[in-house]
Amino acid sequence: MLEYILAGLALGSIYAIAAASITVTYVSTGILNFAFGSFAYFLARVYYWLHTDHSWNIVEAAVVTLLVIAPMMGAVLYALLLRHLRSRSALIQIVATIGLFVALPPLAAILFGNETINAAPGLAPEPVHVYHIFGKAVSMDQIIVYAFLVGIVVIGTGFLRFTDVGLRVRGLVSTRALASLSGINPSAISLSVWMISTALAGLTGVLAAPTNGLTTQGMTTLMAAAFAAVVAARLRSLPVAVIVALLMGVVTDVIQKYLPASGTLATALVPSVPFVVLALALLFFYLRFGSVQDVVAGGGALDAAIAPQGGGATQARKVQRAVRAKSNALLSFRSVGSLVVLGVVALLPVIMCGYWLTLVVAGFIYGLIFLSFTFALGEGGFLWLSLISFSGLGAIATAQLETVEGWPALPALLVGALIVTPIGILLGILTIRFGELYVALATLTFGLLVETLIFTQNRFLQQGVGVSVTRPGWTATDKSFAYFVLAIFLVVAIFLVNMRRSTTGLALGAARRSQAASTSVLGLNVVGLKVLISALATFVAALGGGLLAMYSGTALPTDFPTFTGLVWLAVLVTVGVRSIVAASIAGLAFTIVPGLFQTYLSGTWGNVPSVLFGLGAIGLAIDPDGSVTSMARRLEDLFSKIMSRRDADPDSRPERPEGSVSRGAGVTALAGAGRKGRS
Amino acid sequence: MTAATSARTEPGEIDRLTADGVTMRFGGIVACNNVSLAVPPRSIVGLIGPNGAGKSTLFSVLSGLRRPTNGHVHMGGDDVTKSSPQARVRRGLGRTFQHPELFTELSVREHLVIADRVRHGTRRVWTDIVTWRGFRPGSAEEDQRVDTLMDSLDLTRVAHSPVGALPLGMMRLVELGRALAAEPSVLLLDEPSSGLDTQETADVVEVLRRVVAERGVSMLLVEHDVALVMGLCDYIYVLDFGALIAAGTPDEVRNDPAVRAAYLGTDTEELEEAIDRSSADLDEETV
Repeated sequence: MLEYILAGLALGSIYAIAAASITVTYVSTGILNFAFGSFAYFLARVYYWLHTDHSWNIVEAAVVTLLVIAPMMGAVLYALLLRHLRSRSALIQIVATIGLFVALPPLAAILFGNETINAAPGLAPEPVHVYHIFGKAVSMDQIIVYAFLVGIVVIGTGFLRFTDVGLRVRGLVSTRALASLSGINPSAISLSVWMISTALAGLTGVLAAPTNGLTTQGMTTLMAAAFAAVVAARLRSLPVAVIVALLMGVVTDVIQKYLPASGTLATALVPSVPFVVLALALLFFYLRFGSVQDVVAGGGALDAAIAPQGGGATQARKVQRAVRAKSNALLSFRSVGSLVVLGVVALLPVIMCGYWLTLVVAGFIYGLIFLSFTFALGEGGFLWLSLISFSGLGAIATAQLETVEGWPALPALLVGALIVTPIGILLGILTIRFGELYVALATLTFGLLVETLIFTQNRFLQQGVGVSVTRPGWTATDKSFAYFVLAIFLVVAIFLVNMRRSTTGLALGAARRSQAASTSVLGLNVVGLKVLISALATFVAALGGGLLAMYSGTALPTDFPTFTGLVWLAVLVTVGVRSIVAASIAGLAFTIVPGLFQTYLSGTWGNVPSVLFGLGAIGLAIDPDGSVTSMARRLEDLFSKIMSRRDADPDSRPERPEGSVSRGAGVTALAGAGRKGRS
Repeated sequence: MTAATSARTEPGEIDRLTADGVTMRFGGIVACNNVSLAVPPRSIVGLIGPNGAGKSTLFSVLSGLRRPTNGHVHMGGDDVTKSSPQARVRRGLGRTFQHPELFTELSVREHLVIADRVRHGTRRVWTDIVTWRGFRPGSAEEDQRVDTLMDSLDLTRVAHSPVGALPLGMMRLVELGRALAAEPSVLLLDEPSSGLDTQETADVVEVLRRVVAERGVSMLLVEHDVALVMGLCDYIYVLDFGALIAAGTPDEVRNDPAVRAAYLGTDTEELEEAIDRSSADLDEETV
């Protein structure tokens, strides 16, 4: 037993360092770092490159990686991106850090090479010395991990409690505004926190590499485990995060003592421990408090009072456009533009052939899948990081119905998607009362759990070849299948447009903006609305997954890892999350851009598209609408300018409507209302 | 004090909204302690008290956002203590917020349309997506109701403006319009003059009086502006440290020693003059 506990403490210590770093960063900067796993991977890869590829000794490689490169990386990312995120919504913060998460691993591959590293050296000299405590083996790697955790806890606690800078950090955590008024520079503190937390991410990656391997998957799992501890600490309590992380590590190793060494139960249960902890923590908070809302870091009463309301003139113009686009007739500039783009997209199967046609068909399917994000994020206003899991489940269900049960292809596809939909409804019901961060964390966990528990079942995996799926007979050619997919895309798109323009759309718009007013003024059933959107998003994702399986001829669960789902999200938000046209363009971009790089450029460039997609998501910090929506807006502005010049003749110029609102018109506008009443 | 029976309800009429012995505890803190009040038909009732008196908590209890530790809330004589906020809205409860809670993606008109549809076609929230109503225009009756309301609040000229671009005074009118479009029988107003200057406050007062006269709506308003409350309300309740310390007409409250001591402070003469001055200014603006 002691052996298992010691091993578990080592694993738990790595979780604890990661959880402590994520918690401190969140409470002091207000940003939950979804890129932590990629930070860890990137810096561990730097260490590996210096130590293994260039034969630097351990101390030199560790010092340069963790005390020079990591803080510099944190400082650069803070200056370029992270400082802009503070004032953004939680959704933008999550998506932008996911952009970093997506961009860093391929950047590491470009810089340091593409090789797969399943076991990398840690900080202990090799061969790793093994000591014996009470007769039980403890490796030098494990001892180093314990030492680092103890050192970080002692130094960190002493620093925060007994130093002047620690006092400033704690002041900043309580209230950013009052801390500023007391002469504390929040930016300097935030910069320091990001430098330190990036170094800790690097340390976590280096310490985890010998056991978890130097892979993005390993680091994603590590990050998800750390998130479980952070959630158990309600995103705030450092001691709780550290203790829960340690316990998770111990439990993970101790249960292995009681499970058969090689069995599906052990394979499934052991990696599930952090996810079970997260689910239990959320359930406890839900039962105890009735809801689980995000805690605003650095948010005192003064911070709330001085928080900007609305986005000033620029925001007002954007809202004006959004309202205009919605309320105008069907033949508005934007809708005509959308139809033109969709018309061009519809011609692609005719224009393209061979390899490029296959990319177009796949792009159409991804476009359909991306519409599930448009439903969830664009209409429902909630960020689900597990939609790819529903696509995977849709593929599995379609394959089982068609190949195992002998159903015809089309009913198998539709019923397969319908079978998956209740799972999405259940997830929606469970997460509906959570704050945005918790929804993202819970669904990320759900995705990883499905990947671990369901996608690994041999009934679906079939020794890694998957279950075969065939297309409907009348879609045998790529061109006919392309138009089959496009027809489904258009049906879903028209359904979405109708929904947006209907009472349901108005109600959803209301619920997205103010849940309090939606329930206590309009009496809307916000939970019901969000469950409806959960169902629609799940159905569309599952339908897309089934089509993807049909197109490739195989339903292979490993084609739907959670990490790839984050890349999907990055691609879509880069183009625009609320636009149907953007979903179709994002789908095509996801297949054609890598195709172009692979066809016309050398192999090294193969990772560039992923970096670009990640950078696109990061760009949301600057323009939250995405590139296509942003470009459409500019074109619309240009069109309006041209039209207004044409109407520049003073005789034909329409008068400004009475009472139209301009900046600074507040008092006058209301006074006007009152005067009319009095007269 | 059994305030639920203190407000002036005409014989044979039932109070639109009552709180009976409402107590709300947060751990060891008692935010509201055995508070009772009544809002009779077609009346404007004020709820005043210093900061931390428990006014906002009581509002949350009345609107259903919080369930009281003890006590009951009735609407039209029926116990709604355990009803959800949605159920209370369906029974005719409306409200506005201290900081306007508007749907920034929607236009002014859309705010009123969604409230009207929730009142007159609740099912449409669910059925529109399958009946393809998104591609058809709204009904003539709906247009008429919404246009009439917008006109009465003088919102027609900004009908298609996004609310995010409006000044605060207009936002308060949109909030009021949205609440009225749902045709409430009783309206909870949370500091309707907060952030407005004297002229804007006078305009809001006039709109509120008109709404009560034309639509027969009852109102319960929480307000810091004592002069506004004294000039507008038919009946006033005073809270201090979560407990009801006085209730009565504006004159009765003004002369209540407990109110003077607890709410207005000890230097009463000077404060009384200030209130009188403010009330005179308000009357002058609204006449």
